[in-house]
Amino acid sequence: MGHFDRTLEYIDQVQRAGTAAAVCERLLSVTSNFGLTALIAATVPQPGTSSSQQKDHVLLCDWPNEWLERYLTRNYVDHDPVVSHLKQLRAPFQWREAVQSMPADKSSDEVMRDAREFKLRDGLAFPLITLEGQIALVSLGGEAVELSDSEFAMVSLASTYAIGRAMQLQTTTSKVIEHIELTPRERECLQWAAVGKSEWEISQILGISEHTSEKHLLNAKSKLGAANRVQAVAEAIRHGYIS
Amino acid sequence: MLFSLTTQQLMERPDLWEAVHRLRYKIFVDEMRWADLDRPDGLEIDQFDHDAAEHHLVIRNGELAGYQRMLPTTRPHLLSDVMPELCEGRRPSGPNVWELTRYAVAPGFRDGKRGVSTVGTELIAGFVEWGLGRNINQVIIEVEPVWVLRTLQLHFLATPLGYQRTYGNQQVVATLLTFNDHTLDVVRSRRNHHAPVLARGTPDMLGMRQAS
Repeated sequence: MGHFDRTLEYIDQVQRAGTAAAVCERLLSVTSNFGLTALIAATVPQPGTSSSQQKDHVLLCDWPNEWLERYLTRNYVDHDPVVSHLKQLRAPFQWREAVQSMPADKSSDEVMRDAREFKLRDGLAFPLITLEGQIALVSLGGEAVELSDSEFAMVSLASTYAIGRAMQLQTTTSKVIEHIELTPRERECLQWAAVGKSEWEISQILGISEHTSEKHLLNAKSKLGAANRVQAVAEAIRHGYIS
Repeated sequence: MLFSLTTQQLMERPDLWEAVHRLRYKIFVDEMRWADLDRPDGLEIDQFDHDAAEHHLVIRNGELAGYQRMLPTTRPHLLSDVMPELCEGRRPSGPNVWELTRYAVAPGFRDGKRGVSTVGTELIAGFVEWGLGRNINQVIIEVEPVWVLRTLQLHFLATPLGYQRTYGNQQVVATLLTFNDHTLDVVRSRRNHHAPVLARGTPDMLGMRQAS
């Protein structure tokens, strides 16, 4: 099997993973061949984000628990040379390049020293940008990193698909796909409300009772999560239900 | 609103035709510095603006805000003729596979510094809607690698066609996107806009603001 075919197979496995843990495991099963044995993928929090909120940014993680806890409680994200380098650079890089490019600094030395305690001596970081413009990264580390150009290309692609899969899993399990279903009548009533018609006028136009038109508008209001009729109309326009 | 026009239809509207090729010049020659495309008239036109191409135009307030060009893979296209090295294996082609090229958002319509603007996502919603309406379910893109993550966020099934390569100071990776109704739902949810974006007919004269 050719090199690229193998890459496709890995990516296919990553895309079929049903949980974040399975994504981690499948990505690491490939990268551990090159000495990359630990993985974290996350969106980068703004400086000053509390450690409990930083946790919500993590998409994939197989770091030793103790190391993750230490990283969060000591707020290492603000001192990690890999993270600072990432904010300036759009291309993948090796951890040691990040350390070299930084002016010597006590707190960043501490991060890297502590990382070595957990067998994280060197690694690769892949910076990415989400749809919303957030900076994200996949960071893979280990004791000794060694890979050829084509292996690097493979890891780079597989990492992107891994964090992408993690994001997909997150959106399917939570909100986002919250399609609000308005009935045709609710839509019609809103459409008339949008041009300033009263409940009585709407009832005359549509040939229904005033009570019914009021009910349709109330239902639409609650479906749209609006506080009053004006907001309901505004939300309906914003979501494209009426024009 | 997004309008899909054939090259013939576009040529029948000199105002749109010029706006399209001027925008393409601005983005691909001035901004991206693709020197091969430079022309003294400040219009970017290539051999693929043929009669089988489809041009997608997003019009906002009487201005051309976004653009992309769709090419059938049953005729020569970029992946087959210009950048074949981006494809390692078998090149996907057929009536259900088109290639998306010249994706462009006009400078005044980019919302944030890094994220994808509403015009940008309208182009995406537009090609999915357009494709599903004519039995096209796969689109080839040659893009910067960050786009791969974004397409996954939108629940496209993405498959790499090769490794990324460097052109000038740009990284490019060819990717095949497969989509269905679910993809369209996700794209629409992400945009917070559930109404179709594809418009019928042709846009009003540019510069004419719609009274609404």
